[in-house]
Amino acid sequence: MKSPGILDHAFGAAYAKRLGGLPGAATTALDALRQRARVTLGTDGLPGPKLEEWRFTPLRGLAKIPFIPAASAEDIEVSDVPLSVPKIAGAARIVLVNGVYRPDLSDQDFSGVSVSPLSTKNVDGRELLGHLATPSAAPLVALNTAYMAEGIALHVHGAAKPIHLVSIGASGAEPAAFHPRVLIVAEANSSLTLIETHVGLPGQPYFSNPVTEIVLGSGAAVRRYVEVAEDADAFHLATTAVAVAENATFEAFHLGLGGALVRQETHVAFAGTDATVKLHGAYALSGKSHHDFTTVIDHHVPSCKSNQIFKGVVADDAHGVYQGRIHVARDAQKTDARQLHKALFLNRGPKVDCKPELEIYADDVQCAHGAATGEIDPDHLFYLLSRGIDPERARNLLVEGFLADAVNEISDETVRDVFVGQIAGWLKKRGVQS
Amino acid sequence: MSLLEIKNLHVSVVGKEILKGVDLTINAGEVHAIMGPNGTGKSTLSNVIAGREGYEVTQGSVTFDGKDVFAMAADERARAGIFLAFQYPVEIPGVTTSAFLKTAINAKRRAEGKTEIDAMEFLKLVKAKTKALGMADDMIKRMLNVGFSGGEKKRAEVLQMTLLEPKLAILDETDSGLDIDALKIVSEGVNALRAPTRGFLVITHYQRLLDYIVPDFVHVLAGGKVVASGGKELAKELEATGYAKYQGAAA
Ligand SMILES: Nc1ncnc2c1ncn2[C@@H]1O[C@H](COP(=O)(O)OP(=O)(O)OP(=O)(O)O)[C@@H](O)[C@H]1O
Ligand SMILES: [Mg+2]
Repeated sequence: MKSPGILDHAFGAAYAKRLGGLPGAATTALDALRQRARVTLGTDGLPGPKLEEWRFTPLRGLAKIPFIPAASAEDIEVSDVPLSVPKIAGAARIVLVNGVYRPDLSDQDFSGVSVSPLSTKNVDGRELLGHLATPSAAPLVALNTAYMAEGIALHVHGAAKPIHLVSIGASGAEPAAFHPRVLIVAEANSSLTLIETHVGLPGQPYFSNPVTEIVLGSGAAVRRYVEVAEDADAFHLATTAVAVAENATFEAFHLGLGGALVRQETHVAFAGTDATVKLHGAYALSGKSHHDFTTVIDHHVPSCKSNQIFKGVVADDAHGVYQGRIHVARDAQKTDARQLHKALFLNRGPKVDCKPELEIYADDVQCAHGAATGEIDPDHLFYLLSRGIDPERARNLLVEGFLADAVNEISDETVRDVFVGQIAGWLKKRGVQS
Repeated sequence: MSLLEIKNLHVSVVGKEILKGVDLTINAGEVHAIMGPNGTGKSTLSNVIAGREGYEVTQGSVTFDGKDVFAMAADERARAGIFLAFQYPVEIPGVTTSAFLKTAINAKRRAEGKTEIDAMEFLKLVKAKTKALGMADDMIKRMLNVGFSGGEKKRAEVLQMTLLEPKLAILDETDSGLDIDALKIVSEGVNALRAPTRGFLVITHYQRLLDYIVPDFVHVLAGGKVVASGGKELAKELEATGYAKYQGAAA
């Protein structure tokens, strides 16, 4: 039965046919997973505006575009990593072009982690695919699962060397879509810092639909820093599902700088006590860019901590969305869950929606949420001007300062500096006006 | 040519006239003090000179180095050499003091056709100046004015002044909030900047400051006008008599 208000879209039988054989078809479990997802996709389709979770992020524009599978296009050639992709000192690079692993552009010097492209035969931990990100709960996960062809599995054994995953999207004459899958299994007490940069080439719009599953064993520490700076016409709808075992720490930061329609959705489930999740983000949007940060944190077990700080600046006709749901189950006593979202308007045109949802069934908990929007404080601006700083630099300083609360939460100094630099680059390119 | 020339200046705030014809001339090398009752328009005068928005100049003129101040934006005035040490410096979260200071120093250097200051030189310079003002040198790592005590904020204003070396420094009650020792240190910082090419406008309620920063002229601003001017002895006289006789004169 079709849910009400769903959208027709390009991802039907014709799309599947053009895609041809999918890798790992021999692995029956994987193929069964895909088949089930295709059924879900067929009945549920893409979420329409009546679906509460998608109220602020309409997919009508996306649904109208006749996407073809990127893998079936023969006129796409990417031979270099775009210059806008930052170099991360000390990290090994893995490059995906339209979701497909590109050894020629990637480093091979990993340590503490085994890296296998999903298409290879013996993927370490592949049996865990689809356990966290389940199609029935999320239409974009269904889409990814139905067509996942490529991606990367990271199996972390010890103190791993940082990895920089670069995703480059590109279309040829026809708009192309790709559905990469990333699986990260961090064994007990292992640690990994993963930086992701999502960019693309101008031209026909492309659609990136990644799904990432992250399993943290007890005492494991995973830090994940994601920058989405897609092309101005591109779509990027990403879903991440994380399971955090006892005493583990998951720290994530999501930076949104570009793309026509972007959603970074994260689901976190605590699976053991005394675990900590930090899920922060920042965005700087101009033009008609739309970025949605959706988070769902499930405190099922006692004595876990989650903290979220999201800050954004919006200009022109941009649209920022933050939806944060925190669920604290009855047994999850001693939970400490916080969330904060603040947005700064650089002019009168943009829009920001914020929806905090706290469902608390335990009584001995600490929960807090806050939200605010505002403009640049004229007294702050005058203070800087009165010291001879020109209006553009003064505004940029204040915008960077506004985002700093969130950005300073990045515990890795190298990455923090890189992200600060990316934000400064955005401001410079834009030349913030009043 | 005078450094600063204020002629018949009338200024209104939200429709209410605050300054009602101020005349004041400051020549390079001079220190002028302004005293006057609360709410009489001293900060209004300094803000108008510095270029803060929200003030309506209805009559009169202000020239700096012979140039019409009202034709310049606030940041241009600052780069031309006008500096205001605020009565109430604002706290700016997220912006570190060091990033702010570096940006301000570089704005001035660019205007003078110089290259940007290099990181080492900047640190050395700031270290020397903070030490002279009795400030902790890790204070520049903190967010601008955030959580600074009243006295620390005032010292930070003077630090900025010594780094930016303005031609005209307006000190709006820089002494209030300073302890006795800090008053001495800050005054020494100001005195060190006294030079034949530089002018000062020192706003204060207390004669004590003027024992340290000895003014060439003292003015009384009351009822929106300069109602009396004299030498440093005028400040002593005010300390004894108060403003009663001037408030009548202005009305
Ligand atoms: N933005 C404003 N809105 C309304 N009134 C204002 C505003 N700014 C200043 N005023 C008024 O203008 C008058 C002069 O204020 P100003 O701050 O210049 O006084 P001052 O001489 O510096 O006083 P103090 O010695 O207390 O610092 C006061 O009556 C004040 O309330
Ligand atoms: Mg005042």
